[in-house]
Amino acid sequence: MANFTTDGKLCIEREIEIQSTDAQFEDLITRFDVIETCKWIKDNNFFTVCLQFPDELLGVSAKIYEEIKKRIDIDLYILGDTSYASCCVDSVAAMHVKGNAVVHYGHTCFSKTNIPVLTVLPKKELDIEATMKVVKDNFNSDDDKKLCLFYDADYEHCGDMITKYWFQNYPQNYVAYIELEENPNRFFGRVVRNKDGEQFTVEVLQDCICVNVGSRGQTLFNYTVSIAAKEWYLLDPDKYKVERLEETMWFKRRRFLVEKCKDAQVVGILVCKLAGDQTKDIISRMKRLCKVNGKKSYIVSVGKPNVAKLANFPEIDIYVMIACPENELYLTSTKDFYRPIVYPYELEVALNSNREPYFTTHVTDYDDLLPGRRHYCDINHVKETTDVSLITGKIRETKVDTNEGSSMDLAEKQNWALESIGQNLQDRSWKGLEQKLGESEVKQAEEGRKGIPLQYSNETK
Amino acid sequence: MVNFTVDEIRGMMDKKRNIRNMSVIAHVDHGKSTLTDSLVSKAGIIAGARAGETRFTDTRKDEQDRCITIKSTAISMYFELEEKDLVFITNPDQREKSEKGFLINLIDSPGHVDFSSEVTAALRVTDGALVVVDCVSGVCVQTETVLRQAIAERIKPILFMNKMDRALLELQLEAEELYQTFQRIVENVNVIIATYNDDGGPMGEVRVDPSKGSVGFGSGLHGWAFTLKQFAEMYADKFKIDLVKLMNRLWGENFFNAKTKKWAKQKDGENKRSFCMYVLDPIYKVFDAIMNFKKEEIDGLLQKIGVTIKHEDADKDGKALLKVVMRSWLPAGEALLQMIAIHLPSPVVAQKYRMEMLYEGPHDDEAAIGIKTCDPEAPLMMYVSKMVPTSDKGRFYAFGRVFSGKVITGQKARIMGPNFQPGKKEDLYEKTIQRTILMMGRYVEAIEDVPSGNICGLVGVDQFLVKTGTITTFKNAHNMKVMKFSVSPVVRVAVEPKNPADLPKLVEGLKRLAKSDPMVQCINEESGEHIVAGAGELHLEICLKDLEEDHACIPIKKSDPVVSYRETVSEESDTLCLSKSPNKHNRLFMKAQPMPDGLPEDIDDGKVNPRDDFKTRARYLSDKYEYDLTEARKIWCFGPEGTGPNILVDCSKGVQYLNEIKDSVVAGFQWAAKEGVMAEENLRGVRFNIYDVTLHTDAIHRGGGQIIPTTRRCLYACLLTAQPRLMEPVYLCEIQCPEVAVGGIYGVLNRRRGHVFEESQVAGTPMFVVKAYLPVNESFGFTADLRSNTGGQAFPQCVFDHWQILPGDPCESGSKPYAVVQETRKRKGLKEGLPDLTQYLDKL
Repeated sequence: MANFTTDGKLCIEREIEIQSTDAQFEDLITRFDVIETCKWIKDNNFFTVCLQFPDELLGVSAKIYEEIKKRIDIDLYILGDTSYASCCVDSVAAMHVKGNAVVHYGHTCFSKTNIPVLTVLPKKELDIEATMKVVKDNFNSDDDKKLCLFYDADYEHCGDMITKYWFQNYPQNYVAYIELEENPNRFFGRVVRNKDGEQFTVEVLQDCICVNVGSRGQTLFNYTVSIAAKEWYLLDPDKYKVERLEETMWFKRRRFLVEKCKDAQVVGILVCKLAGDQTKDIISRMKRLCKVNGKKSYIVSVGKPNVAKLANFPEIDIYVMIACPENELYLTSTKDFYRPIVYPYELEVALNSNREPYFTTHVTDYDDLLPGRRHYCDINHVKETTDVSLITGKIRETKVDTNEGSSMDLAEKQNWALESIGQNLQDRSWKGLEQKLGESEVKQAEEGRKGIPLQYSNETK
Repeated sequence: MVNFTVDEIRGMMDKKRNIRNMSVIAHVDHGKSTLTDSLVSKAGIIAGARAGETRFTDTRKDEQDRCITIKSTAISMYFELEEKDLVFITNPDQREKSEKGFLINLIDSPGHVDFSSEVTAALRVTDGALVVVDCVSGVCVQTETVLRQAIAERIKPILFMNKMDRALLELQLEAEELYQTFQRIVENVNVIIATYNDDGGPMGEVRVDPSKGSVGFGSGLHGWAFTLKQFAEMYADKFKIDLVKLMNRLWGENFFNAKTKKWAKQKDGENKRSFCMYVLDPIYKVFDAIMNFKKEEIDGLLQKIGVTIKHEDADKDGKALLKVVMRSWLPAGEALLQMIAIHLPSPVVAQKYRMEMLYEGPHDDEAAIGIKTCDPEAPLMMYVSKMVPTSDKGRFYAFGRVFSGKVITGQKARIMGPNFQPGKKEDLYEKTIQRTILMMGRYVEAIEDVPSGNICGLVGVDQFLVKTGTITTFKNAHNMKVMKFSVSPVVRVAVEPKNPADLPKLVEGLKRLAKSDPMVQCINEESGEHIVAGAGELHLEICLKDLEEDHACIPIKKSDPVVSYRETVSEESDTLCLSKSPNKHNRLFMKAQPMPDGLPEDIDDGKVNPRDDFKTRARYLSDKYEYDLTEARKIWCFGPEGTGPNILVDCSKGVQYLNEIKDSVVAGFQWAAKEGVMAEENLRGVRFNIYDVTLHTDAIHRGGGQIIPTTRRCLYACLLTAQPRLMEPVYLCEIQCPEVAVGGIYGVLNRRRGHVFEESQVAGTPMFVVKAYLPVNESFGFTADLRSNTGGQAFPQCVFDHWQILPGDPCESGSKPYAVVQETRKRKGLKEGLPDLTQYLDKL
């Protein structure tokens, strides 16, 4: 696809920010679980395996490749420059090479995939004793106030030690373990357990104070906004500092965006994820929501979205982005985008009257909105109503599309589309090519441009 | 209801020449509502004895408690004119043949400036105005404001001098002094009228003149009033002079010598001004006798003026007796209703000249002609001027005037909001009118239909209109013109529920509040804050109280009041700003410059607007503001919202494909004009010039995606290089006080960055008027501060006047604008600090 849009030069010249890893060669084998990886491949009899690396690990990718190849002789591919976000498994790229398994390196968001995956978690050093001391100094628990420990996936390698220390101090409390296998109690790749290994659902955290050992980031942010807990704290093991996390401002802004969704006439469903059946399900759900509320929706797929790409559709009033919950575009605080981008959940809140209009916890992962999942909610039948928008100060009307699924659908829809195109076109001053018949002088045909539009081969710079 | 029934009223509604739609307007505390009561008592809705005490039109509890009108209220009255008075109506369109009864639809409006949007809404649906002036304080700022608005809407005024009782009892003015006071007020009013009305215009001469009977005198509180007609009637027989002639004699420079029985035009030793002699003297005598308990004189006097005292009033004396006597002698209702019937225009007369001011469409279409002729058989044209809450929570009556056709219960009509444009579907709804109703003070009555020329309420259209709109049955109808308010919502508070989970209730409440007040703005800001914006502190106080108690019904928290700012520039950009599109193939070269003084205001007032013919507009701009004619013809757009006081001008020459990117550039401009670079506030008074543009030869690479964000960046660079400034709203503040308090006023104003530009004595009174400009931001708590510094003697009226640059550079840390910018950015959740020019400006 690259050939249609760029000459490839841009891609090669693009600079990415990486932290250089000065890891020693010997280290790599343990750091990237090479032995375990080989065992996994062998046990499962995979013969084409893809190694997916995030940008910052591309530097060591070749070495890991060699290490694995040395131990086990199968087809190995390195996947880099993932289409959307490197935290998700790029099963599409894997399919291109007919791979039957993926080994995922680096930061992961634990999203579902339809291909066998071995997740190799990153590893970071942790001074467990010192960290636990800070915890002890800051938190104490009693019967009313339970604590739950979270730790960044980077510390999973010493997870046993951390939990041991934790249960020594707080025997009645919980730990949110990292869980790589599917499990009904699993959320964001974690399962809450107590000292005896008994599992709990996420609801148990409602009365808990949650402490996350690790660093600030998108993952932790998603926890704080979508897991209903009493309070959230971050313990930064590099600084031994505890800080309370609150996102009230963020919630206010999101509620504004929910109102914006209600105002929108045209919704762009921005697809930024390919893998999985859930993607198809959520797209059709978003489409259906728009339809029952009399809003027009378009599916927009533009690769990695940026300001310029999205501003090409000025008729779209709001974008709902179908992406990994860790996608940073959900959070862009700079308002450079011409139209706002919202989470699927927010469109749900705006357009599905069965949902509580006031939310204090968010659902960042659209998976949970689908049938059978925790936050699924039937789409209500919408009545034709009007209401005042506090954003524009105008009346906003919900026009119901009554002919849902009838045989007249096509004919009706065509008129509808024509009408709306007419409206948008009417507001434009330039409506297309002007013939200017008889106004421009007659010229001989001349040779046109060659190559692709971004840089024609005979174009002067 | 004692004197009339709904059926009788419905009968009267068809007699369109016998209808008078009028509003009562005045400065705050000049006694409108009290005066209205005496009219209502005459028309028979409340018992006569309670007139002057009830404030019938103040329907809300807080209005009754505070003794201040907050909402305008309509009442219908029925009044019969006697045969002898009917002759005063000469215009055949002012009266149906052989009909003595008149239907008067009266709207009592608030006098406090903070509520003047209510006045505007009232004026729109009426044709005449009773201007009430307190003869002790004279013509005040709000009198002038509302009168000016009335004239602009082509509303014919009549004048009433109120509170004569105070002039006599408290000030103890001599007759000649009192005459001079009256004379001066009449003059003042006529000066205002003359300033805003052209005598040769379609409304003709609208001056008020006591000798014609269009000026009344009296006391609303005591329930008595007269015009010269009443007194002329008393003397006409005695003098054997024609009534009209005598009325002329009773005002102005006419003197009568009692000895020689001669009239003269000049004062000399022997003669006396006729007004004093024949009008004031008898009143003075009655006052003197009763107030000084001259029992023996009283009986004689009463006989002379033909008043007999009823049994139950026999043992009264002093003020109570005076009230009874004056009210029986010169009943206020009678005099006022006569004035109204005789001097105010009927809808038939008024709509003829008001149509062109009211209707946006062509002046010869069916709707226009229907309005012009006030034809009940023409297509329906009704203007809804405000929403009145019903007892059913969240629902409203749409209150307005039928200008043409008939509005009928169950009728299907087109409901058009202010954003409706003919031929488009936006803001247009075709719905059934569930019910038409008659609104009378506290009561409503269902009515089958209402024909043109009348005021009524509608049930079932409130869902389709925010505040105002046009209701019609004519498919090609244009909108009726949107009302222009004399005040702006410049004071803002942020509200939130005490219990966060109540937020949905608050939002519902805000939506209701937005409907219930003609001007209040309820805004959900980008940051998620909910803002209520009103004209002043009092207005906001009332709105928030309504919000808490009636609309949202939850406890709310509110922030301190703040003002909204505007961003502008003070110089021309010091460099030609270049921004490149993301693909680097398109380049925009622009500059920003401040608009000349007066132009932003001209745009606000609609004197320069996007719908003008571009040649006429260019001519105007070049004549008045010395804009280059060819450039002025190439104004691409106004913004924000397509109408705001900023413009984008194409100053480029011969750029290829420029017309193709115009829409994208305009979209970028609207975006930047709405969210300025400093604190994302609206821009004001900025002109952007496009000097050059280079574009990619291929359409796909100069699409919206490349141009819209780039335009915004380029405009931001222009702003940052043109000495950006902040503008703050400024009140015009008029303070009335006795001379001793003037010093205190100056002190308070100085502390609050105010500056006095006029100070004068109100002629004939010991009162002083100080006029000053006061930044709205400094006005919070001003009234209380002023009172405590002047011993409660000074009373200010503040009305938004203009925008003014907040001195200082917002880019310089430590300056006041810098603090404002940082505070605003923080509130909006933006990155703190200053915007970085290098983010927007590209190098060649």
